Amino acid sequence: MLEEKRYQAIIDELWPKLKKKHLYPEIPIPKVGEVTPSAAEEEEQGEAVGLEMKQKQITLNSTFLSRTREKMTEEGVIEALLDHGITHYTFCPWDFHTHLMLYAEAKKVMGDKEMAKQVANYFIDVTADTYCVKKRFTEIPELHRVLKKGAVEKVIASLYEKIWGVDLGILDSKAAKRGHEEIVRRLARIPYLDRSRWPESMKKFARSLKPLLLEEQEEQEAIGGKGDSNPQGDHDLNSYSYEEIDQGLRDFAKKSMALPEFKDIVEDFSEELKEAGYGMEGGMGRGRGAPIDADILFYMKLAESYSIPLRKVPLEKKGYLHPHSHSPWEVGSPFQDMDIWTSFGKIMPGITQIWKKREGKGRGKIEGAPDCLIAIDSSGSMINPRKNLSYAVLGAACAANAYLRNDSKVGVYNFSDAPMGGRDVLNFTDHHEDIYRVLCKYFGGGTALDLEDLVPLIHGRKNLDLFIITDMKITNLESLIGFFAQIQNRITAVHIGENPYAARFQRAVEKKRNISIFTVKRKEDIPHIVLGKINEYFGATCKD
Amino acid sequence: MKGNLSTKKGFTGTHDKDNRGIRNPFEEFDTFTFHKTQIPLDQIIESTEVVMDQIRRGYEKLLEEEAKELVWMVQYNTIIKAYEVAEKHVREIDYSAEDIEDFCFALENTQKIPYFIPGPAGLYISALCNYAKEEEILLKLSELKTEINLIGFRLPKGKRLVIEGDAGDFTGIGLEGGELVVEGNTKNWTGAGMRSGKILIKKNIGLHTGEWMMGGEIYVGGRIRGLGNIVEGKVFEREKLVYPGKARHPNLYY
Repeated sequence: MLEEKRYQAIIDELWPKLKKKHLYPEIPIPKVGEVTPSAAEEEEQGEAVGLEMKQKQITLNSTFLSRTREKMTEEGVIEALLDHGITHYTFCPWDFHTHLMLYAEAKKVMGDKEMAKQVANYFIDVTADTYCVKKRFTEIPELHRVLKKGAVEKVIASLYEKIWGVDLGILDSKAAKRGHEEIVRRLARIPYLDRSRWPESMKKFARSLKPLLLEEQEEQEAIGGKGDSNPQGDHDLNSYSYEEIDQGLRDFAKKSMALPEFKDIVEDFSEELKEAGYGMEGGMGRGRGAPIDADILFYMKLAESYSIPLRKVPLEKKGYLHPHSHSPWEVGSPFQDMDIWTSFGKIMPGITQIWKKREGKGRGKIEGAPDCLIAIDSSGSMINPRKNLSYAVLGAACAANAYLRNDSKVGVYNFSDAPMGGRDVLNFTDHHEDIYRVLCKYFGGGTALDLEDLVPLIHGRKNLDLFIITDMKITNLESLIGFFAQIQNRITAVHIGENPYAARFQRAVEKKRNISIFTVKRKEDIPHIVLGKINEYFGATCKD
Repeated sequence: MKGNLSTKKGFTGTHDKDNRGIRNPFEEFDTFTFHKTQIPLDQIIESTEVVMDQIRRGYEKLLEEEAKELVWMVQYNTIIKAYEVAEKHVREIDYSAEDIEDFCFALENTQKIPYFIPGPAGLYISALCNYAKEEEILLKLSELKTEINLIGFRLPKGKRLVIEGDAGDFTGIGLEGGELVVEGNTKNWTGAGMRSGKILIKKNIGLHTGEWMMGGEIYVGGRIRGLGNIVEGKVFEREKLVYPGKARHPNLYY
């Protein structure tokens, strides 16, 4: 306990200097404490972990500090460990998206999940430490001299000797003579500090280190051990905040645009994601236990990157709160209700006034978004959204998001051969996960709508938008055209690709003002969809 | 201008006692200096880039001379001529085995090398291997998306070329005493016209294997799809001698 206090005092003293050295990173002051694996596990594994970073909070391991005290000054160890930890935040991996990208590249070479994680971690460490050695005054080389090393660590230390130009006491040792020179030579040619080349660098790093890692894995399996922990700390999802993970997944989905790759990565990290409390609801739910459906998550994250405009309509809303009368403001009351005009711009009890709000009937019409019924075609002519990127699901997901963002509810009618039972209906809801689940459902049969399914969903709803996304290869297209001719609701019809059916539909409804048609051939066409676009009807409020 | 601004805003730094403790938060950046040292990595990367540029230029010259219309037909004459041009450019470059591997991957990066024509590319890589300083060359090409044709062309005696991954058509043709090891599969015409040396294919091999080979040995760990018209030499399939041996028709699927 006393020791921990002493270490904390050293950190407090060093921190201003370190912050300045690393150009003031926005991370809290590091702490000293117990880090995982626990001391007992460390005893078994024979190696302690130096630091841990959880949601930007660096924690130094007091056991590790005590053990290295004999070989290096306490200040030196602490500074080196903190340099290392901070550089992960300021340079590599920088964010969760980069971490995922590096892992994905490593996985392409290694094939195995655990080994890909291991090799990506090594790359992250080498890059961070090399950056620090080149750009900052640091004790990192000294720390590497005293760290206990396994076979891989020895090769990496040889690499450091070669690329940093320092002596870590490795080059003359037996490890260097065991034919690892070739690996070191290959590793030394990688441009670690060139961020734009990290994807290819990661692959090259993994390719070079693969034989050694396989060798080590075999040895570990033979003795039944798990291998040593990384003394500089492991890089798992704990380092990232919930929001960073969310953003990282969104960026990864957008950048890769490949469902299988995204699915592969999310499944590999599913345990950690669940551990981090990453649920599914709206991509923002918290709490453990919910299984992660990678396909749904992919469309959820991808749709968040697109924004399609929604034309609002004048709606008669009831029950809105409106400012009614004044009352004096008291200390502790919310500021947002203050009336600055009657308060003379002052915040002072007795002078400041707040608005008292009352619920009343909204007279007149307020612009808002109506609820929307999304009809999505999941017949055999459409792409299976669980196998490849489906523009139909992505388009429908973007439309659903646009309505949900405006506090409206969305119903889904997923159809293939509806009269034969190939359909799924979701009643109006604002529950993201339920909506995406029905949108991602794939029947893969024939294509026919059962208009009787739609009637109860539309009936009694004065203001309701319809959004239909299909390739228009619908068996009873005539009935659909007839049905659309009867209703006055705003209809946004999106057809995937060009075909004669789509042209026929277009010709049949071209005189209908409440129907707007869009074509999606590429993902870039999705943002051009305008929901509820009706020129004549909205001429007064919205102009194109 | 800076002085004026400081006076106006009152941010005159900590030396000014009249500023009632207001400190310019950016003041310390006036004296801040970056610790930017040169490390050996910089030198390694720089020289690697220089060599890669030379190799790339050599390849582009080869294309300019031999594939002007970006079309190249695999014929005896075109192969010989293109290889001679490749030899000429390769001899002027000082490179290592790792540079050859990097070049193979650079070929797939259209930003670096806009034209990847498998024939000339394979001959150029073969020339690089044949003139490399190292006696043993290991090319880790498992992640390469396209197989390189003509790799191992005229591999001379005393050289050992190991390829991790698959190779394309005409692998190891005209082998001149070297040892070529392919850890994966190869396509058609493997070892065609080889004179001496050894080709080891760990997995499967395509049609016309050993066509007009004049000597040497081909060992195949998997299946041979079809043998060519062999003049002389030995071909083994899963350690079993298949030529010379029981009479087989060329390209018989078996």
